[in-house]
Amino acid sequence: MADVTLPSLGESVTEGIITRWMKNVGDVVGRDEPLFEISTDKVDSELPSPAAGVLLKILANEGDTVGVGAVVAVIGELDGAPASPPSPVDEVPSSTPTAVAPTTAPSKSDKGLVVSPVVRRILEDGGVDARSIQGTGLGGSVTRRDAEAAVAKRPSDDVAIALTPGLRRMAQHMVDSVRTSPHGFVAVEVDASVFVTLDAVSRSTTDGTPITDETLVALAAVRALAEFDFFNATVAGDDLIVHRTINLGFVRSLQPAGMLVPVVHAAGGLTLRALAQRLSDLSDRVESRQLTTDDLLGGTFSLLAAPTPSTLVATPLLIQPNVAALSVGAVRHVPVIVLRDGVEVVEPGRRLVLGLSFDHRVADPVSAAKYLERVGEILAAIDIHAER
Amino acid sequence: MASESKQFDVVVIGGGPGGYAAALYAAAAGLSVALIERDKVGGTCLHRGCIPAKEFLETAHVLRTIQHGSAFGFTTSTPTVDFAVSQNRKNDVVDQLHKGLSGLLKGRKIDVLDGTGLLDANNSVVVLDGADAGTTLTGKNVILASGSVPRTLPGFDVDGEVILTSDEFLALSELPSSAAVIGGGAIGCEFASMLSDMGSNVTIVEGLPSILAGCDTEVASVVQRSFKKRGIDIVTNAKVTGHTPGQTGTTLHLDGVDDVQVDMVIVSVGRRPRTEGLLGEATGVELDERGFVVADEYMRTAAPNVFAVGDVVAGTPQLAHVGFAEAIVAIKTILGEATVPVNYDRVPWAIYTNPEVAFCGLTEAAAKERGYNVVVKKDPFAGNGRARIIGDTEGVVKIIAEKNADGTAGQLLGVHMAGPWVTEQLGAGYFAVNWEATASEAAALIQPHPSLSETFGETLLALAGRGLHVG
Repeated sequence: MADVTLPSLGESVTEGIITRWMKNVGDVVGRDEPLFEISTDKVDSELPSPAAGVLLKILANEGDTVGVGAVVAVIGELDGAPASPPSPVDEVPSSTPTAVAPTTAPSKSDKGLVVSPVVRRILEDGGVDARSIQGTGLGGSVTRRDAEAAVAKRPSDDVAIALTPGLRRMAQHMVDSVRTSPHGFVAVEVDASVFVTLDAVSRSTTDGTPITDETLVALAAVRALAEFDFFNATVAGDDLIVHRTINLGFVRSLQPAGMLVPVVHAAGGLTLRALAQRLSDLSDRVESRQLTTDDLLGGTFSLLAAPTPSTLVATPLLIQPNVAALSVGAVRHVPVIVLRDGVEVVEPGRRLVLGLSFDHRVADPVSAAKYLERVGEILAAIDIHAER
Repeated sequence: MASESKQFDVVVIGGGPGGYAAALYAAAAGLSVALIERDKVGGTCLHRGCIPAKEFLETAHVLRTIQHGSAFGFTTSTPTVDFAVSQNRKNDVVDQLHKGLSGLLKGRKIDVLDGTGLLDANNSVVVLDGADAGTTLTGKNVILASGSVPRTLPGFDVDGEVILTSDEFLALSELPSSAAVIGGGAIGCEFASMLSDMGSNVTIVEGLPSILAGCDTEVASVVQRSFKKRGIDIVTNAKVTGHTPGQTGTTLHLDGVDDVQVDMVIVSVGRRPRTEGLLGEATGVELDERGFVVADEYMRTAAPNVFAVGDVVAGTPQLAHVGFAEAIVAIKTILGEATVPVNYDRVPWAIYTNPEVAFCGLTEAAAKERGYNVVVKKDPFAGNGRARIIGDTEGVVKIIAEKNADGTAGQLLGVHMAGPWVTEQLGAGYFAVNWEATASEAAALIQPHPSLSETFGETLLALAGRGLHVG
């Protein structure tokens, strides 16, 4: 027998909500096979089984908040352990010998619960599912009063969907951000012919790591921050704390909803190859839900890649306590006007829009536009042949 | 012999309605079952309670029908009764039902053991006496269904001739010319009603201000009026101080009231749990201060895997059909199936006096006590065509509904009936109350014409705001 405990989920995280069990009691589970999903105020993670065997007991239900170190399940050895749940006769719910009058109801499926015809009609007319109601009658049965109250609470066809823990985290952060920072926004269009070169040469580094549009813009953004360091900063009272280290956050959407901003720490001075490697690794861990809390902390500047291939530009909200967030539009194939032998001609070309959300307490549209133009210049000047 | 302890999924102690229902229902679900009974399966209900009592009340009903014969044009002489024949008929009815039940238990492969079952620690059950004395059984689950026995009064030693409880009364082969019934509850009133119909002079002695204290007052007063009209003496607020046996019969002494000289005294002052010899040391089963077994709404006692059903359970009505329902709840709980506990506020009650009483749900007084604003409607049987036809118009239907904010009648809280065959009529009211129907929902349904049940239907229509025949 092995107890499954909630492991440490990173610094400053003391508890989490169990959002999903991937195994049922009685299921055989392999060592390191994903067993349950936990949601903390920082991140959702899948946690693996610490041992191989049979899941004997689940001690924390979906929706329960459990502390780090708490036992949430028990894994039994495969040999001799029951392959299926014990027969009901052996498992009669009962009180302890000292209990006066036990009150817990036996485990039950709601399928068998009796609903009177009157209650059923009220619920049908009101479009309410009996299983969605916690009955106050004997044994949890749904009374007329329960049914009427449930229908009264449902005056329209609107459906209330509880926010997932991930959405709640996003909601809280965004509300805080808007409250804290007066947001300004500037967008500029820049040359994107570097991507023609990238496509012609290779979309991967010499060691095989993918180079995305995001990688190149991130590289340029980091390099430009050396000249515009007040965008890699935090407001603290009457001071602007300028950070010497650039910790670049990348906005990542979650399915079905929500977002995370994992961070490439100490991104200043990274080569294209190194940045591509770090970004690729981060993306892999987002995909496999292997991020730790530490991956999500310490960002000083963030980058929002084009959400879709035709997005012109998006306006990101600031990740607190940052003062700027770069938004990258999709690289567009467009006709461009170029000077050929002193004559303006139209040629096929590539452009993209860069946007900067900035904290208007400490920055202004002019400095934001200048920063974006500088990012554009650096981007255009990246020597793909040499750096990849 | 402890090593030969036989294992069962369920061991039931007591073969009355609660016990045999648990055994039958468990066996129907495929569980292995042993049932220990110290007398005969069927228990008090079949052998010393409901069934014999109702058989005798039917005897009285046949007599009344004969007496009414002249009104229908029959010429009859004054009927006489050979009560020994009545007693034999009752015994035949009981024997047939007993045989049927025994066959049913056998057919379901239930091990029926003869003796008194004692629960020991660890769900071990020992048969103390009887043909199977010394046998030890172990049940994964044990159901205590040892039932109840009549309570007696100090100073009234039961001799079976002058001082009787229901046990002895139902075995009589001759009826007394005069009797006092101590206790005006359901059992006492049934005996009084039957004796009076059969020609005995009857006095009911009740300690409370009225007979049938648990019933709605208007329903109880229908019975009280009928009893008085038929010459039954009802002494309420009475305190029995003792009795002085005479050459024949005895003289009953009452505080502040004249003595009552009778041939027979029937003590019907309630029933106490039969828990003596039921529990060994350290079983963990908890009893209340009156000796009843404490159980939760799923019939679980304080001991793991030990359940209790029927009369022995604390704080529940001592009714056979409640025992049946509790047995089903217990077995479903054992099986881990979804089950709704018995709602004791809404079980059906039936009292087979003349006139009969049947009810379900809250009385008007109880509803008000619980803070309900109520709307009440009543309809007497006097206006009912079928009641006129059968010549039995005494009685009333009374329905209590919760009052809506606009003053109309809402959900039905209680249905109370007194009158002809109301024990058979209660079903519709029982469903309406338990299905939480409102007055108008129930009133929309049709009662057949002509039938006694139309009085129930009329009361519902009136309650819904507009009566057809009554207002």
